[in-house]
Amino acid sequence: MRKFLERVLEWSVVILLSVMLFSVLWGVTTRYIFEDQSSWTDELARFMLIWVSIVGATYVSSKNQHITIDLLPKRMAQKHKLQLEVLVSSLIILFVLAVFIIGGLRYVYISFHLGQRSAALEIPMGFVYGVLPVCGMIIIYFKFLAISISLNLLKKL
Amino acid sequence: MEIFVLILSFVILVGIRVPVAWSIGMASLFTILISIDSIPSFTTIAQRTVTGLDSFSLLAIPFFILAGHIMNHGGIAKRLSEFAKSLVGSLPGGLAHVNIVAAMLFGAIAGSAGAAAAAIGSFMSERMEKEGYTKEYGVAVNVTSATTGLLIPPSNIFIIYSLASGGVSIGALFLAGYIPGILTGLILMIIALIWAKKKGFPTGTRSSASQVVKSFISALPSLFLLFVIIGGIVAGIFTATEASSVAVVYCLILAFCYREIRIKDLKSIFVQSAGTISLVMLLIALSIAMSWVMSYENIPQDVTESLLSFSDNPIIVMILINFILLVIGVFMDMTPAVLIFTPIFLPVATSLGIDPVHFGIIMVLNLCIGLCTPPVGSVLFIGVGVANTTIHKVIRPLLPLFAGMLLSLILVIIFPELSLWLPRLFDF
Repeated sequence: MRKFLERVLEWSVVILLSVMLFSVLWGVTTRYIFEDQSSWTDELARFMLIWVSIVGATYVSSKNQHITIDLLPKRMAQKHKLQLEVLVSSLIILFVLAVFIIGGLRYVYISFHLGQRSAALEIPMGFVYGVLPVCGMIIIYFKFLAISISLNLLKKL
Repeated sequence: MEIFVLILSFVILVGIRVPVAWSIGMASLFTILISIDSIPSFTTIAQRTVTGLDSFSLLAIPFFILAGHIMNHGGIAKRLSEFAKSLVGSLPGGLAHVNIVAAMLFGAIAGSAGAAAAAIGSFMSERMEKEGYTKEYGVAVNVTSATTGLLIPPSNIFIIYSLASGGVSIGALFLAGYIPGILTGLILMIIALIWAKKKGFPTGTRSSASQVVKSFISALPSLFLLFVIIGGIVAGIFTATEASSVAVVYCLILAFCYREIRIKDLKSIFVQSAGTISLVMLLIALSIAMSWVMSYENIPQDVTESLLSFSDNPIIVMILINFILLVIGVFMDMTPAVLIFTPIFLPVATSLGIDPVHFGIIMVLNLCIGLCTPPVGSVLFIGVGVANTTIHKVIRPLLPLFAGMLLSLILVIIFPELSLWLPRLFDF
């Protein structure tokens, strides 16, 4: 399941990044060659940026690569280290649950309710913001996995 | 009250090793929860996070990061270093100078210091060790000189500053960064020269004129990118974002022509870049949310008032701001620092008659020092990582170079012309 999700996320970022690149390039090309810039290019690229950032952050959180700062002593007992890791993962789960899922869903709901559509592509903005709760769920899944690994290691100590 | 909750919760969270981006988000959430109910708070932070990313000028950042990754793999850094070597390799402590000049050249075509430290450091450190330099000295030179790339355009941090300051021209900032960036590089070279004489580091052989020409020609296609990007932006042919997308294509074509990467390498380069991009962008998104929370709680006004009530002498206030920024830089990465503290300090600076472009250069140069200090310095970590050594060994050789960066900062603060002359020349 984890491998599968990671593979999906990998391909998603590659595709999103490529679409982002092509739409900006298409914008420049149409402006200079056809002297009339397509209006949708800016918008599509901006939406791709939102998606790449959030989907990429999800991928990175599975790899545990988010930047941390080492102020703690290096020689902390293995047990305390693992306990701390569980605490940190739980905090992230709570934050993601509150902001990405609850806050995100409500924001998506409000956007649909108000019938917000993007200016050029006329996509309902709710779809664009929907990336937040969807990725939120995946992040929480990864963090639960991380917690269960840490707990297992703790038991073995 | 709110500001204490914000600072305290942030420090505690970072202290227990919550990733920085999440710490920023959580601290903002705690702070906003003091004044708004829970569900609207969640929604507000979610909204600020996604709408913060919804910006055309921010798009330049992922593209410059992608271009930087392609340059790393595409043999572009290698050619720039060869060219640098033919120019300054014969000075005492030759390879240190090669590293500094190569970092400046790399900075002139890539947008981030991390990319320069990784690209130049990975093959310079080996060579320097072979010629009898200590590894730690090589790292110290590499990381400090990599920060000049943040001042020498194109530079992602100026795009972020432009956003945080509410629209200072990116073109003006780019031009303003050249002289301070080159100045910092020159000061580092002078220090490397003195250090090399003292320690008796080897002097490289002088390159013949034909070697210089040959390496210049081989570096020329890479250097041409500089004209495309900066020339294009300054002449108004395209925006910084469009320039960055052109840079990606240009680097791709170059890397294919050099036969350094193949089609099948592309996926891994894209995935790697997307990792870096999302790290940076999540940090940006949550920092924008924090910056919004701060302005909602009136924190910038409070800070301005207390700073100005302390003294209204511009020199004293500037010293104070710079001192605070130096401390912030030690504990916070440059991107969130610029996003969070520009709205706080810029109004103070402009009320004292300091040009916003000039202030941007001061802020970035100041925070560059923090990038090379433990415990947060991201460039230091990259430099130490590629050279396979440890941070505490690098600190001693770093000290004289820090002094050089401080000197450069003081000069840039005292002489606004260093920053403003070039943009004025081009009518910005």
